[in-house]
Amino acid sequence: MTTVQLTSKDFKSNLKPIWCPGCGDFGVVQGIYRALASIGRPPHEIAFVSGIGCSSRIPGYTTAYGFNTVHGRALPIAQGIKLANPELLVLVAGGDGDGFSIGGGHVPHAIRRNPDLTYLVMDNQIYGLTKGQLSPTSACGLKTVTSPHGAIEHPVNPLLYVLSYGAGFVAQATPADMAGMTAIIEEAIRYPGFSFVNVQSPCVTYGEDHQQVKAHRTAMKTLASMGHDPSDRMRAFELASHYGEQLYTGVFYRNPNPPPTYGALVKERQAALAGGLPRERILESFIQR
Amino acid sequence: MTTKVSGLDFSKLTLLDALDLAVLIEEEAMDRYRELAEQLEVHNTHAAAKFFRFMERNEAKHREALLTQRTARFADAPRHVRREMIFDIEAPEYDEARTFMSLRAALEVSMRSETKAREFFESALAQISDSEVRTLFAELRDEEIEHQGLVQKELDKVGSGAPGDPEDYADEPVSH
Repeated sequence: MTTVQLTSKDFKSNLKPIWCPGCGDFGVVQGIYRALASIGRPPHEIAFVSGIGCSSRIPGYTTAYGFNTVHGRALPIAQGIKLANPELLVLVAGGDGDGFSIGGGHVPHAIRRNPDLTYLVMDNQIYGLTKGQLSPTSACGLKTVTSPHGAIEHPVNPLLYVLSYGAGFVAQATPADMAGMTAIIEEAIRYPGFSFVNVQSPCVTYGEDHQQVKAHRTAMKTLASMGHDPSDRMRAFELASHYGEQLYTGVFYRNPNPPPTYGALVKERQAALAGGLPRERILESFIQR
Repeated sequence: MTTKVSGLDFSKLTLLDALDLAVLIEEEAMDRYRELAEQLEVHNTHAAAKFFRFMERNEAKHREALLTQRTARFADAPRHVRREMIFDIEAPEYDEARTFMSLRAALEVSMRSETKAREFFESALAQISDSEVRTLFAELRDEEIEHQGLVQKELDKVGSGAPGDPEDYADEPVSH
């Protein structure tokens, strides 16, 4: 692992983003560049995995290794990458549809395994890339091309979802507060285990006015300003239950005693089973049994 | 100001750090105008994109002039202020671009940016004690006021229906 002095420009690829002008993801990707520069790991030591959707284009806009996978399958692939090369810093990006609808079944299993990776969900409450259908986090009553008379389902609450399954780091951010968002992403990356950041990244084309960055600037309230203690999990649940009504930003929950990561447990188990054999000779030891 | 700059104490700001900060502010604005122009060029919003390209060149000129001033005074002295320490001081916000935005809307973006830059320098001035830094920041604030006036002139032109030519409000470098 290398730590060097880097700038955000070191993480910006030559590929020009083709998001709609004004998209929240422009701010998010800049926050990611900055957070990665602060972390100080060079791009070749980072793997950025995504699913499908507008925000899943993010890995291509970075100089890290990128894998734009299939819809909803970013988390299993990211876990595989982390297992294969534990030294890599692994980030996962995707939208609310990718994470909580099509890929929703993978989230609890990633959380219970606790791999050391960071999952950034750009939650815009709509399927933007496919031109504005209801997504799992769309508000009840929202009129879209697939709900012309208004949605009748209630939205998934991503914060409660991940908290309930036991995620050790749960936060929410908005590009309306670049400094705050960058700090949250950095903290999530530094957390030793599965970390989750729900980024309220507005869809400028299909989103409602109250969901836009300008509205966030007045609506957002930082958890720090409310005196929230991120080690208080029960309070985190209570605050997270206001998703969709209040825009709270900051760290809802950070496990003060992070449990061993999946990678650490696997390493421990391998060592116990293989009697100290190097990793490349473990298979050999099984064949000999 | 706290959300725009991190890790700097304005009451102890040296002229070297102040110049480096000023260079980075211009650099950030230059990069942002380029990014906004790129966003709009992809979406065939040419008039606004052209204006943002013009602003990119302007910010580049300002940056260059400040850099020259810095080098003349401090040569290759190490830089303590980093780009990661500043957030959108003069740079337009990321969400300012819109597909098919008009030239007028682009000018309004620029006006908001010049205004917030002026407010930043005004607010910083209240905390600065070093006389040379005060002089520099007062100059920079005055430049922003001048820029606001130039943008307003163009807004008036667009408002009256006359075509706005961005080159009309090309100005001199920010430092001397």
